[in-house]
Amino acid sequence: MNRLPAPMGLLIDRNKPLTFSFDGTTCQGFAGDTIASALAADSRWLLSRSFKYHRPRGPLTMAGQDANTLVQLPDEPNVLADEHQLQAGLNVTPQNVNGTLEKDRDAHLGKFSKFMPVGFYYRAFYKPKGMWKRWEPLIRKKAGLGVLNLTFEPTYHDKAYLFCDLAVIGSGPAGLSAALYAANAGAKVLLIEQNPLLGGSLTYARFSLNANAAMGLREELVGAVRDHANIHILDSAICNAWFADNYLPVIQGNRMYKVRAKQCIVASGSFDQPVIFRNNDLPGVMLTSAAQRLMRLYAVKPGQRAVVLTGNDDGYLAALDLHEQGVEVAAVVDMRERVDTAGLAAAVQAKGIPCHAGHTVYEAIARKNARHIASVDVRRITGQGKVADSSTRIDCDLLCMSAGYMPVYQLLCQAGGSLRYADEHAAFSIQNLPKILRIAGSVNGRHDLQRVLADGQRAAAEALADLGLESTRVEGADKDDSKVNFPWPIFAHPQGKEFVDFDEDLQIKDIVNATRHGYRDVQLVKRFSTVGMGPSQGRHSALPTARLVADATGRSVSDTGVTTARPPFSAEKLAHVAGRAFDPYRQTAMHRRHVELGAKLMPAGVWQRPAFYGKAEDREACMQAEAHHVREKVGLIDVSTLGGLDVRGPDAAELLERMYTFGFKKLPVGRTRYALMTAEDGVVIDDGVACRLGEQHFYVSATTSGVDRVYRSMLKWNAQWRLNVDIANVSAAFAAVNLAGPLSRQVLEKVCTDVDLSSEGFPYLGVREGSVAGVPVRLMRVGFVGELGYEIHVPARFGEHLWDALMDAGKAQDIRPFGVETQRLLRLEKGHVIISQDTDGMSHPTELDMGWAIGRKKPFFVGKRTIEILESQPLKRKLVGFTLPKGSAKPLEGHLVLKGPDISGNVTSCEYSETVGAIIGMAYAGADQATPGMQIPIRVEGGEIVQATVVKLPFYDPESQRQEL
Amino acid sequence: MSLSIHHHAERSPIYELHGNAALTLLGERLFVAGSQSDSEQLQCCALIDLSNLPRVGFRGTDSATYLQREGYQLPDAPNRAVVQASGESLLRLSQTEYFLLGSLHDGGARIASEEASWHYDEGQANYLLPRQDSHAWFALTGAYLPKLFAKVCGVDLRAEAFSVDAVVQTSVARVNAIVVNAGIADLPIFHLLCDRASAHYLWGALLDAMEEFDGKPAGIGSLLDSATSAAG
Repeated sequence: MNRLPAPMGLLIDRNKPLTFSFDGTTCQGFAGDTIASALAADSRWLLSRSFKYHRPRGPLTMAGQDANTLVQLPDEPNVLADEHQLQAGLNVTPQNVNGTLEKDRDAHLGKFSKFMPVGFYYRAFYKPKGMWKRWEPLIRKKAGLGVLNLTFEPTYHDKAYLFCDLAVIGSGPAGLSAALYAANAGAKVLLIEQNPLLGGSLTYARFSLNANAAMGLREELVGAVRDHANIHILDSAICNAWFADNYLPVIQGNRMYKVRAKQCIVASGSFDQPVIFRNNDLPGVMLTSAAQRLMRLYAVKPGQRAVVLTGNDDGYLAALDLHEQGVEVAAVVDMRERVDTAGLAAAVQAKGIPCHAGHTVYEAIARKNARHIASVDVRRITGQGKVADSSTRIDCDLLCMSAGYMPVYQLLCQAGGSLRYADEHAAFSIQNLPKILRIAGSVNGRHDLQRVLADGQRAAAEALADLGLESTRVEGADKDDSKVNFPWPIFAHPQGKEFVDFDEDLQIKDIVNATRHGYRDVQLVKRFSTVGMGPSQGRHSALPTARLVADATGRSVSDTGVTTARPPFSAEKLAHVAGRAFDPYRQTAMHRRHVELGAKLMPAGVWQRPAFYGKAEDREACMQAEAHHVREKVGLIDVSTLGGLDVRGPDAAELLERMYTFGFKKLPVGRTRYALMTAEDGVVIDDGVACRLGEQHFYVSATTSGVDRVYRSMLKWNAQWRLNVDIANVSAAFAAVNLAGPLSRQVLEKVCTDVDLSSEGFPYLGVREGSVAGVPVRLMRVGFVGELGYEIHVPARFGEHLWDALMDAGKAQDIRPFGVETQRLLRLEKGHVIISQDTDGMSHPTELDMGWAIGRKKPFFVGKRTIEILESQPLKRKLVGFTLPKGSAKPLEGHLVLKGPDISGNVTSCEYSETVGAIIGMAYAGADQATPGMQIPIRVEGGEIVQATVVKLPFYDPESQRQEL
Repeated sequence: MSLSIHHHAERSPIYELHGNAALTLLGERLFVAGSQSDSEQLQCCALIDLSNLPRVGFRGTDSATYLQREGYQLPDAPNRAVVQASGESLLRLSQTEYFLLGSLHDGGARIASEEASWHYDEGQANYLLPRQDSHAWFALTGAYLPKLFAKVCGVDLRAEAFSVDAVVQTSVARVNAIVVNAGIADLPIFHLLCDRASAHYLWGALLDAMEEFDGKPAGIGSLLDSATSAAG
């Protein structure tokens, strides 16, 4: 095992060994390892093959920031091996390989890279026409990244809100310092850390010659944070976006927290940046911070003989780290001419490590098997991107590289922050952030540890002031004078393979060529070349791309900028976005009875309603039988889902007068009237029945799906009219049934003794209040299904009791329940429209033959003026009834009505009616097709045209004698 | 003889979900009785169906006067509640709208009587709202309430933001709801009032959310004990 002694290995538990397999081989690791660290400890550096050229790839960042470590798990592709915690028995396999990881048959593709420039397949495989369809499957297969397990059982994911005064994103030194400062002042702080260990760069970086200083500071700060009652720590949690008003989605395990923070400090740190030279992607070449992470977090010795390539002082400190852990450091190659920190070079040289100032690695040279670095070609830098001809070759199995740092700007750009490039520092800074969002630490251009700590306190003090909590103003630490970024760490090689984007296998020439194709804007370069579109999302490619595009187009990096960073910050699963789905449904008080009676339930908006009673496959028979029963005997239907509005007050009648087309002022107490509602554009939007229960009290029904709109509409209009009226939506408060059929009065008489139910005492369209089976009811005589019937409304708590009482009372009359689909057939036989089924967004009363429902003498109702205008125009279409012989092809709702080659309308309702003995329906047809007796062609399933006969509505009981019994 | 829901005309919208739980009469109405272990469950995380406990609403410019005349003490601002000496809670939902929750001590008798005796007076802008029929009523208890509600509701219901007697009108698991902090002594209690027709759905959604806190349904026995001891 390639392990270092303690105190290296902060994350691993050496007492808990774990066995897993990789590529069919059994491997060992420890609890706390990632897959990649365990493999590295086993000296397995080859983790994957690259996306396009199938080049061998190993760990680059050890922080889940690149595609080099993508592996396949049994149930999950594209898992980051340097992020995924090791578990016992884990079966890990490589992905995107043709053959084996060691011997990938597609590894030769790199040799043909000249013939596969950026976007080559866009241009190469589209001709001749139709060829793309043949090429696409092959290309997709080659570009495949992992395999989905389509039999995967979904796991439970959910969401939760988290509230705090201050959210601190990142628990590096700046974040810890800010959190402590704010918490000490009384703020409730939420500290969000992506890693399982708090401390950020303090967990792996050295910061000073004293090897233990950073570690000691980390322990001190983390201890204080963990003990603080005002700090809530979310570790192993990633903040994946910034939305307005500090709305932060934070993913931890299977949960997405929706954090609402009054103030936010982003202390997200910065990304170590690669140097761009030939073969900079070989296994064994990694970011300096990756080597430090391997040592300090996982106790893995990253190599035996190392070269450190650096653009700042931190490389020297890393060299000391490596040396102290037994790695032979062959050289420090510094791209700069001199070191900023006094004594640093001397300290390194004192360890016998040679330093090469003003030099770079021009090429990494692979071992014979091409799967690991063997040596580096070091050359003096002679100009921007230029090197001398003479070279020094240094053998090594590890090359640590760092060209500088790029602030982790993604969340900040989502918050509207803008990046400004300062040539003097060769670095970006972030400006124009919203007032509730602050930055601290290296994301804010502070790299010296003391400055970072002070910057955290400064940000916290500012946030505290805005929270209204007392704080002493802390002066912000100045930005470092030292340059941490080397301005041009890009060294083109005549043979290429200097990778700018490791995810997408993009070389220097790919970026430069994109600009030569005319894609001067960095956004267009991105889309053409796909740079920054891989899993690392430009974390390492954005800065070199900006530099290359700026150079190639003769502009500054500030002008060029970087591509837009959109949410999410890192890959997130759709399961996280979906969470635990909340799908509300509503049930009536009688729902249990429907289930017991074998109802086939159907959704009606959010309601669950019985369509009919019986098996789904017996729909037609059940409907016809239920309909026949209602026509001949008595049926009971649950209509609790109907909307109900109590309109009370001195202006109740006036409100209805204005809201509905009919007149209601003269409606006597104890009577009901059909209520048709139109919108301002004259379109019919709802209907119901208005019942006058008192001079100042109307109970108005509305359609199941329309009641909320009707209620909102009433409130909206009355906000203008200021009528003295109270409008209450009591839909859920009343359960209701329709007892219908010629025997319904006989049934009701058994359970209702305090209302005169005779046709004289309680005529058609009457409304009464009384009791049924001992509970208070509102009784209405209405005729939606065209038979003698009673709508009975009771307080919902009594709904089931009412159902039971009526079913019991009706036994002698052979009462049976009927469902919604049966009701739709019955009302169709009567020619009654259902709003939103037989009407659409243009239907006005004249088209529906509902001129009778309009109070012509009223000075106003909503929609009146538009209806008058529409009525003065020639009618273009009309809702008509039609019949087809039994056995004819049955039109479905939505099928088209034709007039010659044109479409003149569509079918809105259609069923076979045993009562009528024919297929009956309603459809919109041209106004000149609407005369009874005419034939209308309807195109049905399969394109067949059937000739339906237009008939006068209704189909059943035209004199309406049955409902008025 | 054991009590049966079928002998009572008034039924909770979710009575079937209580399965074979033992029932008890409180006043004239049936509730799940609960078990000995409920008092511990209440401290941890519990869900109790109070839908059969009477409640009623009043709205209108004359409602405040009416309620004061009836002897109620009114909250001085919307979204506040006042517990009456006799145990009822009076919630103020807006400048002119009130919601009365019956007391466990009398089985809601006073509120039921309030509803039964009200008659529409055409000279008064005071309109009764049938809250017992429009809303289901659940009580949720225990130390995990803020964490539990954070899973189903977007409003900050931590103690520092949602004090005892505070009221929020919000959405819980996508259902419109009124939540009242009715904590007593050492027992955190939230009353949740939601669309009655959605009660079946919401009960399931709440139990699902409570699972990680070992939350379970409970009866009214322990809640009544807690309320009684808190009342002194």
